[in-house]
Amino acid sequence: MTVLTQTHSRTRGRLAAFLARAFARPSFVIGIAILGLSLALALFPQLFAPYDPLAFDLHAIQQGPSLAHPFGTDNFGRDVLSRVIWAYRVDMQMAFFATIFALLIGLTAGAFVGYYGGIADVIFGRCVDAIITFPFLVLVIAIVAVLGPGLVNMYVAITAVNWVYYARLTRAEIMAQKANDYAAAGRVLGYSDRRIIFRHLLPNAISPILVYWMTDMALAILLGSSLGYLGLGAQPPAAEWGVLIAEGRNFLMTAWWMSLMPGIAIVLTGLGFSLVGDALADLLRPKGR
Amino acid sequence: MPSLSYLVARLLQIIPTFLLVMIFIFLLVRLLPGDPAIAMAEAKATDAQLEQIRHNLGLDQPLPMQFLVFVKNTLTGDLGRSIMLKAPVTEVILSRLPTTIFLALYAIVLAVFLAGPLAFLAASRVNTPVDVAIRSVFQVGLSMPVFYIGLLLLTVLAAQLRWFPVGGYGKTFLANLYHLILPALSVALYTSAIILRNLRASLIEVLDADYVQFARAKGLSPRIIMTRHVLRNALVSTVTLLGLSIGNLMSGTLVTETVFAIPGVGRLMLEAIFARDYPLIQGLTLTFAVLVSVVFLLTDVVQSWLDPRLRQS
Amino acid sequence: MKRILPILLGATLGLLATTSAFAIERGGAMTFARYDDSTVIDPVYADRNPDLWMVNGLYETLLRNGPDGSIVPGLAEAHEVSADGKTITLALRGGLKFSDGSDLTGADVVFSLDRARNADLGPWAGLLGAVDKVAADGNRITVSLKNPDPTIISILATFNTGIMPKAAFEKAAGATDQEKARAFFSAGPVTSGPFVMKSHVQGSSMSFERNPNYWRQGEDGKPLPYLDRVEFLVIPDDATRILKLQAGEVDAAEFIPFARVGELGADPNLKMELFPSTRIVYAPINTREAKKDGSKNPLADIKVRQALNYATDKNVLIKLVTFDTGKPMTSLMSAATQLHYGPEALYPYDPEKAKQLLSEAGLSGGFEVKLTTLAGSADDATLFTALQQMWAPLGVNLKVEQVDNPTRGEKNRSGDFDIHTYGWANDVNDPAQVTGWLGYYKQRQAVGTGWNNQEFNTLFEASNVETDPAKRKDEYKRMQEIYAAEAPLLFLFETPFAVAVSKSIEGYVQTPLGANDFSEAWRAD
Repeated sequence: MTVLTQTHSRTRGRLAAFLARAFARPSFVIGIAILGLSLALALFPQLFAPYDPLAFDLHAIQQGPSLAHPFGTDNFGRDVLSRVIWAYRVDMQMAFFATIFALLIGLTAGAFVGYYGGIADVIFGRCVDAIITFPFLVLVIAIVAVLGPGLVNMYVAITAVNWVYYARLTRAEIMAQKANDYAAAGRVLGYSDRRIIFRHLLPNAISPILVYWMTDMALAILLGSSLGYLGLGAQPPAAEWGVLIAEGRNFLMTAWWMSLMPGIAIVLTGLGFSLVGDALADLLRPKGR
Repeated sequence: MPSLSYLVARLLQIIPTFLLVMIFIFLLVRLLPGDPAIAMAEAKATDAQLEQIRHNLGLDQPLPMQFLVFVKNTLTGDLGRSIMLKAPVTEVILSRLPTTIFLALYAIVLAVFLAGPLAFLAASRVNTPVDVAIRSVFQVGLSMPVFYIGLLLLTVLAAQLRWFPVGGYGKTFLANLYHLILPALSVALYTSAIILRNLRASLIEVLDADYVQFARAKGLSPRIIMTRHVLRNALVSTVTLLGLSIGNLMSGTLVTETVFAIPGVGRLMLEAIFARDYPLIQGLTLTFAVLVSVVFLLTDVVQSWLDPRLRQS
Repeated sequence: MKRILPILLGATLGLLATTSAFAIERGGAMTFARYDDSTVIDPVYADRNPDLWMVNGLYETLLRNGPDGSIVPGLAEAHEVSADGKTITLALRGGLKFSDGSDLTGADVVFSLDRARNADLGPWAGLLGAVDKVAADGNRITVSLKNPDPTIISILATFNTGIMPKAAFEKAAGATDQEKARAFFSAGPVTSGPFVMKSHVQGSSMSFERNPNYWRQGEDGKPLPYLDRVEFLVIPDDATRILKLQAGEVDAAEFIPFARVGELGADPNLKMELFPSTRIVYAPINTREAKKDGSKNPLADIKVRQALNYATDKNVLIKLVTFDTGKPMTSLMSAATQLHYGPEALYPYDPEKAKQLLSEAGLSGGFEVKLTTLAGSADDATLFTALQQMWAPLGVNLKVEQVDNPTRGEKNRSGDFDIHTYGWANDVNDPAQVTGWLGYYKQRQAVGTGWNNQEFNTLFEASNVETDPAKRKDEYKRMQEIYAAEAPLLFLFETPFAVAVSKSIEGYVQTPLGANDFSEAWRAD
């Protein structure tokens, strides 16, 4: 009983302490700074982009980096900096939408089978086995082929495969938590299953899942840009990093900036997510495990 | 060695999984939009020709019938005929598979040789500049899509410096080692980053662990400590990780084969999807699933051989 | 335009001939990077471009397409069409041999042509639909027709009538023709063309070796081909294919993206060849009264179709997509096609006229049109962006729908589109194929547009049995005029075949029909 009430009242103070410890780490600070900037670019590209990302300028074809075009121009005279900036919107969206539904579905399904076990757990186990038997990209590409190329279909495809990984993780965490005293205490007190799962088990199980989510968002960007590169994700003329690199593919030697600049954007953003993810993982890792 | 009953149980587990896999593949392929007959015949065919093609493919049969035929044929090793290559799927896949497996193994070897020593170095000097530098480089590797690593290697090392051939693959083993080094490296970088991260963590943990401290206190030579305790543990975690990341590795080869023009099953998969080659997509997906299952199984066996404690669970 | 092309071609070849008359060197190998692999190079079963463009390397036809587009003798040294147009008599050359040294006789010709016209086998049998009987008497071949067919001479120069060895083919294992073909080709087939196939690793590489018994003579008076070997590498990725060429690992790379033509042309080690082709890029317009969903289709109005054509600045598209290597369409068919008629570029850019036509059609208030494009195609994306910007001032709101190739094909067949992108290259050296494809309603509803013009259809049917070349020419002129005025297409542009070749290779040609011709290629270093 005391354990339960204390968990809630202490949360705020612990969060402040946690943040203080987090910001003491340079890697976390760098990561957060990168992500903050990425988010700003994604939300307000029009404030940062000097040109219209789609407008052709036939007089300025494939110009190298200059003051007017810091990242150069592409084969239609479009400003590469503006296209990279507008791509932030698409790619950050990919990071979020390709993972959030997987997270929610996986969390619910994982908590359910983890708590109840039994036949549901067995069926779940078989499904998981079947799905992880496919290489991730193979399955996603196959599903995208079914649904047709495009962003929304890509989200659906990734979610259809990805929820399994969240569910597996959640199930394991819930099973571990279930064995703890306070779950037993809750049951003794006659709390509903739902209350035990959502109020007590999940909050305690969630931190590793959130850490995984961070790295998964970085993976989603890598995956999304790979699909864009293969012509199965975001579609040209829309600006997306993978698409931009594919567009620059033919000009690696003559107009290297077309593929290098979006490449740097991918690496930087991915780095932001994994730095934050790593720092969180370190901070949240229980001592003695 | 793992006991026979463990192996049998582990093998039996595969059966229901595979039934699900087959249902899944079958439905997936049937849901593809676009008519494979049209994809096959290209635009110039007449409607009657299309009807004939559909009939030849058995696409005019009811779905459950098609599934039974699919299962029966698969069990007898007959995966049908590829539409776009006009040859038996089994034959096509078997001719392309060695290249992909070669590439994957090559990548694993490179990844281990890249990550292993550096992980030891980093773990033995935790939080020194050496450690930070090693981790940063691999962190960047982790943030790069495989196709982009491939492109960079291709542009700089092959096209600009001309150290390596541009794409393609060789006819002999040695020629293959030379031809596939860049693609293998692009797949390996990502995998090695994962290995490094885990290996470093587990090494730090082991080096800190009580029994290693105890062994040290007992005055055991560093070499014995290394081989008997540290290496064994590192090996277990690396094998597990490699097994788990086989899917990742396969995904990597799929992209790399496209970038480097390597005629393996990965590139074939993409071509088959774009051509709506039902039998070939089915066959390839199944091949990937079998490959991954076999690797999972091997991982389990090797793991339980290296670490007897795991056999109970 | 029509005149210029053969002259240009002739001039190029003439130039080649004069500069190389004393310099031709024999022997050596050439490595050629392809965009896609062949699956079957059987004249009868070949159905994709990478297949059929290779057939002539292995199998010689009775007649050949000459460099100026005319028909010249092949295995048959002479041919004659009877007055009623129903009998063709050909005289086979003496002393012809297959690659294995066996004699090439009338029996092989009968076997090959019978196989080519068997509708149960390949997709091209229809081209020989008029043939009633093929007979051989010594070196005299008689082809009897059910009805006159002006295309038959061209068909006898088309890949699908390549002459195969009867005895060797029938000896191959297998019960059906398909099985025999498979066995025959996997064993390294006996051939009649300039080369024999030495090896083929599916999806990866292929090797052709010189056929010592090939009949044609080179400029030095010895039999062609000059090269001992042609090695093929399959590299689907454009950029990798080009890198391989630049690194000197291959001697030629085909299907160079037009964006790279300028750069490769400036490379001192390379020749950037732009071979004249019959390839056209166009966009079928749905001309049916109602769309698939039942709503009224504004594009059914001829004025709207003309307006969109006028509102499209082809020169800008040619610059954006083909980097000035293409040229505007002057007819439904490419200028390199026989009987082409098109004195000037169709629908020169005229936004005023477009505006006027739209207001005459009662659509000055604007409307929405959907362009269906190929997902992942950079060219289609460019076309869309450019068209959207060109049409917006007219109040035409262009939307895009991106699909993959099979889906686009299905939409074309079911009429579920407004406008979609498409391309075409002739397989036969005759205008009937492209004209039937694009305009004849009974074939495929005029390339899926649903355009059904009585006069055009009647003319097309008449032209297919017309024995008088002058009359046939008139019929084609009229058909092309009708088609241009009715505009069931968005007429876009013609493109050449872009092949980059190392300076050390001379004489490689890709014909207007796309065929890869290595028979007169030679190595200069």
